[in-house]
Amino acid sequence: MKRRVGRAVVVGAGIAGIRAALDLAEVGYGVTLVDRAPHPTGLLGRLDSQFPTDRCGLCRMLPRIERDAASAHCLRRGFFHERIDLRLNTEVAAIEGEAGRLRVTLRRVSGGVDPERCVGCGRCAAVCPVETPDAFNAGLTLRKAIDRPSPHAFPDAYALDPEACTRCGACLEACPTGAIRLPGAERRSFRILVVDDELSVRDSLKEWLEAEGFSAAMAASGPEALAALEAESFHLMLLDIKMPGMEGVEVLERAKRMRPALDVVMMTAYATVETAVEAMKIGALDYLIKPFDVASLIPKVAERFERFAAAEDLPLTAAAVVLCGGSEGYDPLSGKNPFGYGALAGVLTQLEFERLLSGTGPTGGRLLRPRDRQPVGRIAWIQCVGSRDLQEGADFCASICCMASIKEALRAKAVAGAELEATIFSMDVRTPGKSFQRYRERAEELHGVRFVRARPHSVTRGPEGKGLRIRWVEAGGGCREESFDLVVLAVGRRPAPVVAEAAERLGLALNPWGFLVPEPFSLCRTAHPGILIGGTCGGMADIAETVIQASAAAAEASLRLHAAGGGAAEEEKPPAALSEHPAGEPPRILAVFCRCERSADAPALPDPVLHALRRDPEVAAVEPVAPLCTAEGRLGLAALLSRAGANRLLLGACRLLRHPSPLREIEEASGLPAGWIETADLALWAGETRPDAHDARFALQSGLVRLKNAEARETEAIPITRAALVVGGGVAGMTAALAVADHGVAVDLVEAADRLGGNLAWLTRTLEGHPVPSLREDLEARVKRHPRIRLHTRSRVVQAEGEVGSFVTLLEGPQGDVRRIEHGVVILATGGREAPVHGFGRGESPAVMTQAELERSLSAGTLEAAALEAVVMIQCAGSRREPRNYCSRVCCPTALRQIAALRERRPGLRAAVLYRDLMTPGFAETAFTRARQEGVLFIPYRPERPPEVRPAGRAAVVTVEEPILGRPLEIEAQLVVLAAGVVPTLPRELAEAYGARLDRDGFFEEADPKWRPVDGLKEGVFACGLALSPRTIPEAVATAQAAAVRALAILGRERLPSGRIVARIRRSLCSLCEQCIEACPYGARRLDPERRQVVVNPVMCQGCGACAAVCPNDAATLEGFSARQMFGVIEAALG
Amino acid sequence: MTDFEPILIAFVCNWCTYTAADLAGTSRLRVPKNVRLIRVMCTGMVDPQYILKALLHGADGVLVSGCHPGDCHYLNGNFKARRRIKLLQEILPCFGIESERLRLTWIGASDGIRFAEVLHELVARLREIGPNRAAAVTAVY
Repeated sequence: MKRRVGRAVVVGAGIAGIRAALDLAEVGYGVTLVDRAPHPTGLLGRLDSQFPTDRCGLCRMLPRIERDAASAHCLRRGFFHERIDLRLNTEVAAIEGEAGRLRVTLRRVSGGVDPERCVGCGRCAAVCPVETPDAFNAGLTLRKAIDRPSPHAFPDAYALDPEACTRCGACLEACPTGAIRLPGAERRSFRILVVDDELSVRDSLKEWLEAEGFSAAMAASGPEALAALEAESFHLMLLDIKMPGMEGVEVLERAKRMRPALDVVMMTAYATVETAVEAMKIGALDYLIKPFDVASLIPKVAERFERFAAAEDLPLTAAAVVLCGGSEGYDPLSGKNPFGYGALAGVLTQLEFERLLSGTGPTGGRLLRPRDRQPVGRIAWIQCVGSRDLQEGADFCASICCMASIKEALRAKAVAGAELEATIFSMDVRTPGKSFQRYRERAEELHGVRFVRARPHSVTRGPEGKGLRIRWVEAGGGCREESFDLVVLAVGRRPAPVVAEAAERLGLALNPWGFLVPEPFSLCRTAHPGILIGGTCGGMADIAETVIQASAAAAEASLRLHAAGGGAAEEEKPPAALSEHPAGEPPRILAVFCRCERSADAPALPDPVLHALRRDPEVAAVEPVAPLCTAEGRLGLAALLSRAGANRLLLGACRLLRHPSPLREIEEASGLPAGWIETADLALWAGETRPDAHDARFALQSGLVRLKNAEARETEAIPITRAALVVGGGVAGMTAALAVADHGVAVDLVEAADRLGGNLAWLTRTLEGHPVPSLREDLEARVKRHPRIRLHTRSRVVQAEGEVGSFVTLLEGPQGDVRRIEHGVVILATGGREAPVHGFGRGESPAVMTQAELERSLSAGTLEAAALEAVVMIQCAGSRREPRNYCSRVCCPTALRQIAALRERRPGLRAAVLYRDLMTPGFAETAFTRARQEGVLFIPYRPERPPEVRPAGRAAVVTVEEPILGRPLEIEAQLVVLAAGVVPTLPRELAEAYGARLDRDGFFEEADPKWRPVDGLKEGVFACGLALSPRTIPEAVATAQAAAVRALAILGRERLPSGRIVARIRRSLCSLCEQCIEACPYGARRLDPERRQVVVNPVMCQGCGACAAVCPNDAATLEGFSARQMFGVIEAALG
Repeated sequence: MTDFEPILIAFVCNWCTYTAADLAGTSRLRVPKNVRLIRVMCTGMVDPQYILKALLHGADGVLVSGCHPGDCHYLNGNFKARRRIKLLQEILPCFGIESERLRLTWIGASDGIRFAEVLHELVARLREIGPNRAAAVTAVY
């Protein structure tokens, strides 16, 4: 396996950090992933489900290409990738230098549990006397100050909460492996020797130093001090100059001879300062003038200690750093209106509610009110608590809470039953994503979730102390009250504290709310070329957008690594020597038993079990070994194997050895291929859970039978054409082409029009005010002069075939000429356009135009702005209703921007926006606030009563039902602008030619809408820009970069290896019924018509075994799960 | 019948239910005796032959458990399992096996408690139904 030289550091191991790290690792770089927390996955690890499935799909983030490099288990348990160095309980102490050569210093968080030593026995938690709110359960349950950080953590290392820990030391005594270090214990390990003839000085120094947590030993004279130095080691000596017998300077000389590394600080009276200065010439570091006080002494000692502690820091050189610090929930208690949070039982934050619904939460997944554990019949969600709120200094939308509340309402109904009443109070229900609007409508119409447009005033205790009363003002002005059993506050988000720290350290710009500010037209670049923004520390986004943004940051980081030479050099890692163990060799199995503290909990293996094992003719030897999770345990493996003449290895061990990390080491130590090593988990349900040795017997027998029938073959690999085809030359296509080509990979860029640019051609500026034409010119110039990009304008794809690594596409050029292009991946960037719109007076009045038409006439200067008196913007003109029932995301911000542009030309222009829900997610909200402050009228309308437009001379009259007045309102306007929304322009034939699918609205269908947002289900096919979903320019750029980095994971090498667990086909048994082809969810199987054979693409195959289950002849099999192995395991289970 | 200890074979998927089983273990939940866990990559790969083999060779019950609908790591393997097991439950009586002996559940990664509950429920039910007679009849094959 080849590995590129070069390293990136990713700070924060939430989903953004994991995505960025995995992307870089998949491209081939080394990554150090750092998190302060003791367990990865951040916020998402605490949510059981995500919409639209209302379930989980976290594991779909794991690599599909070269998947054996990573762990194949639930991500909640943590994860592993052979090129990712995951460092938990670690923070970044310093970042210095420039892009390409950043010096990053990592420091372990003070105190804690050494994961290498912790065996997860839980004895520490059992003796710990401190109970503290469990952060994993959002404080709804208690945990010990030393406990498991997450119920899923694997390996199950415990973690210590330094803030709750009282340093009582009970756990230190209980721990069988000495894995625990108390916080502040580093100071205790810093040993100081005080040498002074005066008892009072010694006593006070001892008191001061020990109060600060240092260890201090005392010596009353020079000889005594030297004896102490002889016997023990010290880090610092505080040495008096004037002493009877041996003077301080002599002690210093002798001490430095004995211990040259010892730091010495002299203590002197004012009269002997000169002697002290002399002492510094012979090795003393500093001096203190007597009489001194604590304030002058301790900083000097602390400074020496800091240097001592810093010696344990880990310095790294990295080409780029991706900051994925994330965000944290707003605390309702910090605001002016906490809605009863903290005071009333049953008022929860969204995160607390998520934990309440979780199987690992305080109620085990049953919906009961916390504290009194009463059943719940009515729940209310209050949106925008601490967001979209000027009083709280939060003039931005947190972007995630509307959808999260709808999901929570649906989950609550699923858990508690459909009769549960769910009400969501919100100003707008923001559904600015592809499937969001339909999801909302399904919640409302199918599941009866009630949506109330209001910002409730307060939550109070109900009459007789029962229930929670919510008070709100209706649109018509009336006041209403209702009682609920539970109130969930959709609290806003704030940047995590690390974001401000990083910004200050690196001089990065923050916006007024403390989020990092990206460069124009980017979501991830900062002013510092080596520092990139990953995830929500640059602004709030939902899962899919966060994942896209993190991938985009990875693409930028990958470019820095490439530029720093990372792409050129490669390290070769020797593959496992399979040739030494030909598959035809009869199995000779070495069974080893791992013994350590962990297995002390497991029942001892009864003699008959061991006896049966020894009697088995195919077992060469049975040996106990030192713990295999340690290096010394693995050291003897190769010798044991050769002594026994064994070619297969059965490991009787604990679940820890299922972790890929030690398993990888064992493979290397044994020299055996992975398929010839089996782990029999002897303690899955260990200890008191089920004291049953039968389990161990079954585990061993199934391991044996699997090994006896193992057919470890060479992992296959497929050749890769290292070139990409990008279809579409708009902003997304150009960006994707450049991102790939800048890595030295050839790109063919196809554009149907005669010019590059797509929608950039008519857009004037972004909502943030950046001019679009300059972006277009810049991208076009870079594409045209790029040596690795071949540009095909006025061309289109006429035919395509092939699979990942080897696609062949026929392009038709302007003169009907046909060109054949071979490529390894395809990126579809076919874009979109403004949707056609009918009604609303369009075609009847010259005053009515669409947003795009207005944009064009604004930039062409054909609009006579001076003649305008009033403008009306009609939002959702034809969108967010069937058949185009999705929000186009860009139209609301565009309306605000166009009003501002019109008012620049015609100050005082009256403006009204007729809308359903105003979609200004994130910082677009500020533009909405500004527009309201500047007197723009916002009038909501209901979809069943859309505004009507009738011509009136050159102008038009718009009629809309005014909800506050409760009657129709007529507005005469010289300009009526229709927000028509976006439709994709991805031809179905084109998508299908590459095996991609379209969703019902014609957008590209992702492999997973949350976790693989730019990948197609078929390997090697990606999409970006408007082909994916409606989005702004910076968002389109991010998708393009994301698609590029995903493509580079494939294009980075000549050959792509398959996974170990992969489906195969035995041709002699195959009847060509093709059922397996239909069953394969990845399109990895096809019928080769020439050879009349079913063939499997081993890289596309993900090893699910669906093909094996449908095959009537056992011709389709899954490596490691053959019929013989499965039947053998079943027999072992029944034996 | 009180001392009858049913043997239950559980085919669990590598992603969700295996995680829940592990969670039950690390949470030190009580799990009934005589449950044998067989880890498969996906419930969609559980061949009806495996289930028949188990039920005809001594198992008193079989549990197949995977990811909830929409969760499947392989997108739709659990749906394939659902169709297959429904059919199998219908034909089991032809073998003299009560269809209740075969059960399909969805147990997500966080449902450790649910996993233990399902095992207890199923074992309790198998105790009521009694030993699987088909196993004894066909054991000679």
